[in-house]
Amino acid sequence: MVRNNMTEPTIDIRFYLNGIAFNRNAPASWTLLRFLRDALGYTGTKCGCEVGECGACTVIVDGQPVNACLILTPQIDGANIWTIEGVAAAGANELHPIQKAFLECDAAHCGFCSPGMIMSTIALFLKNSNPDDAQIKQALAGNLCRCTGYIQIIDAVRKAASKITENDLQKFVS
Amino acid sequence: MIALSAYRQPDMLNEALEILSSGDFAPIAGGTDLIPQLRCGQQRKLLDISRLGLSFIKKDDNFIEIGAACTHSRLSSDDLIKEKLPLLFRATGLVGSWQIRNRGTVGGNIINASPCADSVPALLNYDAELVLLSQKGRRAVKLNEFTLGPYKTQIKPDELLYSIRCKKQSTPSGCSYLKLGRRQAVNISRMTLAATIAKDKNDVITNATIAGGSIFPAPSRMPEIEKMLNRQKVSYELFEDAANLAADLMIKESGVRWSTPYKKPVLIGLVQRALCEASGINAS
Repeated sequence: MVRNNMTEPTIDIRFYLNGIAFNRNAPASWTLLRFLRDALGYTGTKCGCEVGECGACTVIVDGQPVNACLILTPQIDGANIWTIEGVAAAGANELHPIQKAFLECDAAHCGFCSPGMIMSTIALFLKNSNPDDAQIKQALAGNLCRCTGYIQIIDAVRKAASKITENDLQKFVS
Repeated sequence: MIALSAYRQPDMLNEALEILSSGDFAPIAGGTDLIPQLRCGQQRKLLDISRLGLSFIKKDDNFIEIGAACTHSRLSSDDLIKEKLPLLFRATGLVGSWQIRNRGTVGGNIINASPCADSVPALLNYDAELVLLSQKGRRAVKLNEFTLGPYKTQIKPDELLYSIRCKKQSTPSGCSYLKLGRRQAVNISRMTLAATIAKDKNDVITNATIAGGSIFPAPSRMPEIEKMLNRQKVSYELFEDAANLAADLMIKESGVRWSTPYKKPVLIGLVQRALCEASGINAS
């Protein structure tokens, strides 16, 4: 599945992705972003700047938001990773309350930044489920949006905070 | 595209030092500076130091010792750092974004040796000393001698930065950390200033420390200013003189550059503001 020339080192890694156990051999030079998209087919995590400035590739690793473009595959061995694909409950025909709030507040225009914005929002709620506007802005400072001007996104996070329950967040840390 | 010819991830320090002894491995911790550099570089061999237990924060009677792999998030949320090394607490909380702070480490900030490394001016105020390990043994280097210039340090290819040791402050002091940038977050610092001032009951300065980033080729202390401040009574006029001296020092060390017409008045303003804040007087 993974294209690779023989001289490049690969490494056996085990990790949880969206609650599912994975056991894979991965090229050590691949970033988590490339591995998610090109090896596993999880293309919800977006590739923007690839230098850690835009936040489009934000995923949650062990409860913390990180840039998937700045992690190499060996560094996720043993990690618990959540991406946008795992946010809505598996099998349920329903979006997660954070996703609903983004829709209702028109927080997605082109939508490219939305997966990263939503993952950062989850990480914020894991720390603080009742943030004020300053805390929302600080938590999303590493996620750029070139469409909305951020107002609708901050509205969405505020709205999501008013609706979210512990149940909606539990899986992201377990 | 990143090209690697080897990736090692040892569990034991001895093994890590043995791998480094070949001289052609680069240690990787958080990777937030290194991975973008790898994208436009030559094929490399990496030594992952994340399993060596280097994310500790320890204290004894005289020192606080910080493991090189402590992340900025860890340092900017730790109570001991907040109480004993408040400049570092503040500096690490201002690095990049939340995502970057979760991965980037203080050791990486020092080794990358960017002139605008946020943690370095803070650590310089605390006379930080670096513990470097290799198969040949251990050596301690003062941080103010370690950085030689932009992106250049005196670390040898077989050495690993193990920890950073900061002297505990003997007398209570006020402090100020100012970071200047083009925006409020996810900011590459245009200039940073970190200062501490201890004073007696008559408002006479007993110990002043001041260090800056992106002022000189490497972040550094300004002993000339400290000398000017020590044993003087706190006053706005004194800080004005100190700020003008800082500008003279910058031009002497870094020369007149394209950015000087901007940086000179800004540096003067920042030094005044930092010294006022650290000594608890009104800046206006």
